[in-house]
Amino acid sequence: MRVGVKRKTDFLYLFGMGFLALLVLLAVFGPTVRNVMVKPADQPNFYSVYDPVGVPHLEPGGKYILGTDEQGRDVFSRLAAGARVSLTVGLIVEVIALSVGVLVGVLGVYAPKWFSMILMRFTDGMFAFPDILLAVLIIGTMPPRKEGGLIGKLLPVIVALSVTSWPSIARLVKGQVATLKDREFVIGAKASGASTFYLVTRHILPQLTGILLAVSMIDIAGTILAESTLSFLGIGVQPPEASWGSMINSARQDMSSHPVALVWPCVVLSLTVFSLNFVGDGLRAAFDPKGK
Amino acid sequence: MRLVKAILLRLLFGAFSLVFISFVTFVAGEFSPGDPATILGGEKASIETVQQIRHNLGLDQPWPTRYCRYVGHAVQGDFGVSYYSTHEPVKDILKRTVPMTVKFASQAIVLASAIGIFFGAIAAVYQRRFADSAILTLSTLGVTTPNFVLAPILVYIFCQRLDQLPNSWATTLVAPEFYYFILPVTILAARPAALITRLTRASMIDTLDQEFIRTATAKGVPRGRLLFRHALRNAILPVITTIGTSFGFLLTGSFVLERYFLMPGLGSTVIEAIQQIDMPVVQAGVLVTGAMFIFLNLIVDILLPILDPRIRESQI
Repeated sequence: MRVGVKRKTDFLYLFGMGFLALLVLLAVFGPTVRNVMVKPADQPNFYSVYDPVGVPHLEPGGKYILGTDEQGRDVFSRLAAGARVSLTVGLIVEVIALSVGVLVGVLGVYAPKWFSMILMRFTDGMFAFPDILLAVLIIGTMPPRKEGGLIGKLLPVIVALSVTSWPSIARLVKGQVATLKDREFVIGAKASGASTFYLVTRHILPQLTGILLAVSMIDIAGTILAESTLSFLGIGVQPPEASWGSMINSARQDMSSHPVALVWPCVVLSLTVFSLNFVGDGLRAAFDPKGK
Repeated sequence: MRLVKAILLRLLFGAFSLVFISFVTFVAGEFSPGDPATILGGEKASIETVQQIRHNLGLDQPWPTRYCRYVGHAVQGDFGVSYYSTHEPVKDILKRTVPMTVKFASQAIVLASAIGIFFGAIAAVYQRRFADSAILTLSTLGVTTPNFVLAPILVYIFCQRLDQLPNSWATTLVAPEFYYFILPVTILAARPAALITRLTRASMIDTLDQEFIRTATAKGVPRGRLLFRHALRNAILPVITTIGTSFGFLLTGSFVLERYFLMPGLGSTVIEAIQQIDMPVVQAGVLVTGAMFIFLNLIVDILLPILDPRIRESQI
């Protein structure tokens, strides 16, 4: 795949890809590797994301590269754990949103008239709701979890954000499928006896992979932002689990004395959101036939 | 006649949306943890008292009856009482907090529209030149920077370094309210301003390409008059729709910024209510803000074909 027509887009796309690759490495290996690095010899159950390593508010530099937070925990460990949380939520939500969105979008065109009417009116109804309100409402019905694995703890956030993110994909897919349906190659395949299922899975959906990939990147950015917002408000990822949003919230309370602690989560979160948007724009430019 | 039909259809969809969100908030109440009767009865209530409260609240009825009851009460402005300590009626909580949020959001949208339309028009006029790329870069930053990242930066500059603006509503106000609004409103306006800038730019570029502009130029209409009277007036119409949908972003932002600046508005109240599992307040907050969102978009959608004959034509 060749990407981009303009040099500027190319540069931003490559920058975004590079940053995201680093971020994935950080999320997968960061917390574990870091734990081994800073673990005190006398505490076998020590986990550097949850447990304090030393004095609160250590300046960056030295053994704890980015210093320590208000509870004396290693900031680098927590940033890495936050990356794990953000990427996990972003990916799972996007997979769910894509599955539901594509299914609803295709059914919106090919299902019997009455059924597609109901589906599309329901999708419209979802747009009548500002996303954050629905997310807040869903989280209100699910008490925060402190047990279970990472995904168990993230469940309320994942459910809330999945419910709010499929409608835009459904709308996009429905529009695309409705135009593709009348193109010659589809009519031709249909005339030679292809079933609707075959038409959709072999002829129509492959046409959409490019645009869906591009849109997914931008949606994941939105999801990560929404997760941080909920965690910032204290209703997302619960402590002691680390999230960039909750790190920003606790760091800002000591802003007058220790402004530096606020910089790390803000920079990483912003760069992640920028990178995903750059990559999404780059992919869109690459797949858009008008751009070439 | 067809315009009337279009408006009626839109009204119908508005009503449908209201029913939809009232049903969703009702269902959320059904699934929320905790039994209202037990919570309202207090810790020492006997089983009979709890049964009595349950009967009084109509909780022993089947769910369709309860839903109708819920909607009936909501229409009259009765959202029950808060589960938390004082059992304050939710209606009073709304009366106390909604004006603050409405004031906050409307100031932000006015500021965002002014900035967005102005800079969007400038970017379009100086297309592909320095001013344009500078404005586009800034607007990309504005769209992607979360407001809880922007807030500490501005608070650091204006409150801590320059010591010019107050950084929270926590203490009794010592200056006119206006000063307390400056920072939150600016931060809240950033994202919608960036979106409106991009949209105005795109719309203005389209308009400047059209034949009536070429005719006006050939006729010798002065440049300023051409840009503002002829082009911008036409370009601005699609922007109005965005102003309606921006209200969604404003809500997200007001949740965050009311918490950040400790403003006594609806957003911070709803978040607190979630943390205390105070479902009636959450339901009412969501229902009221959702209804405001629906009404605003309804007004915009009805106003637009009346303002813009082209849309009227396309609907017919």
